[in-house]
Amino acid sequence: MTQKKDLSEKVAALFSLKVGNISAALTEPGQKFFCHDNRLMDDDEVADLSGEFMSLIVALLASQDPTSQASPQFHALQMFFTGLSQKVQVRGGHVEEVVRYTHQLQQALVEALEKDSGIKFTQSRSVWLYFNSVFDELIMAVFRAYLEEKEQALYAQEQELRETATPITEIWDGVLTLPIIGTLDSSRTMLVMEALLNRIAKDHAKAVVMDLTGVKNIDSQVSHHLIQMVRAVQLMGSEAIITGIRPEIARALISLNINMSDITTRASLSDGLKEAFRSMGIHVSQKAD
Amino acid sequence: MSIPGVHLTQIGREDFLLEPSRGLDVSEHDRLIESIAERLLGARASRLYYDLSTQAIIDPIYYNWLNKLARTAQAINVKMVCVQMQPTAAFALVQFTHELPVFETALDISDWQSKIN
Repeated sequence: MTQKKDLSEKVAALFSLKVGNISAALTEPGQKFFCHDNRLMDDDEVADLSGEFMSLIVALLASQDPTSQASPQFHALQMFFTGLSQKVQVRGGHVEEVVRYTHQLQQALVEALEKDSGIKFTQSRSVWLYFNSVFDELIMAVFRAYLEEKEQALYAQEQELRETATPITEIWDGVLTLPIIGTLDSSRTMLVMEALLNRIAKDHAKAVVMDLTGVKNIDSQVSHHLIQMVRAVQLMGSEAIITGIRPEIARALISLNINMSDITTRASLSDGLKEAFRSMGIHVSQKAD
Repeated sequence: MSIPGVHLTQIGREDFLLEPSRGLDVSEHDRLIESIAERLLGARASRLYYDLSTQAIIDPIYYNWLNKLARTAQAINVKMVCVQMQPTAAFALVQFTHELPVFETALDISDWQSKIN
């Protein structure tokens, strides 16, 4: 308790300083890491950044308990570094630059305060440790923001991949087409089924044409999932038409010993579309001259 | 006469809409089926639309109930059509059944009516 009080008093001594004197020292690290080679920010922006940091650190030092990492002032400082980390990443910078900047900022701050106050903080272990713990936590905030940004990017890429892997298109009012290309595996078939069923509900699709022309090979488990997909489409009240079944896929499908008499199949995608139109009572004909 | 757990509404001359409520206890299927069949027979119904829009999951017990009701309807010359089955329910249902069920399915009532006309 005495030690904490002692530290607070020492830290309190820092607030009485005219902080305006140290602002120049704080802009140096920003210029070094964000302005020179990589041009992530311009001089004005770095000056604003340093000014904001200074007002936040002053607010922390002036708070009731500067050692508390639960205080709103400390939280504001963390948010500042989180925002900085995100900004640098969005502009194509690296997390390493923000971490090095934070380290240098700590050093610049301590040196400037020492110079301005005449107090040797390097000889005061408690003050030194205090700044270390504050900046360690700020570096953690930088890393957390970095990881969060990476996770979001990964999630977005995953979503994009899912969407491109299942290009469900409404080719006519109430008619969906689903060309399946490449190798089908169980997890992909389940994803396709999920996306397809949701799309049927959303678009109120009366018919779905699933084209397997681009499917290279399927095993018995995937054949089973494919039949499940057809059944699920039928259960939702939509008509399922499978097109482009190659001989090896036909063989895989019949090996399941499943009654396929109630599953509509057609040779090509165009035949499948004609069947969908026929079932919906749509007649497509060539315009007479 | 109300049937517990079920709203049965006549929506046309020969059509009935069945909307299950939260209180539906399918373990009481025999009693429920008898009451529903009685209403359908009394009104000389020919179609029973079963609304599945609030049923997020269909498990084997619920599926069994639907099939029993559909078979009973068949026995009294009523066609049962399940409408608005949810994607999650269809997904769950195909995990444990390989054959198409006894009942018919449609996106909604108007979709079924356009199919038969």
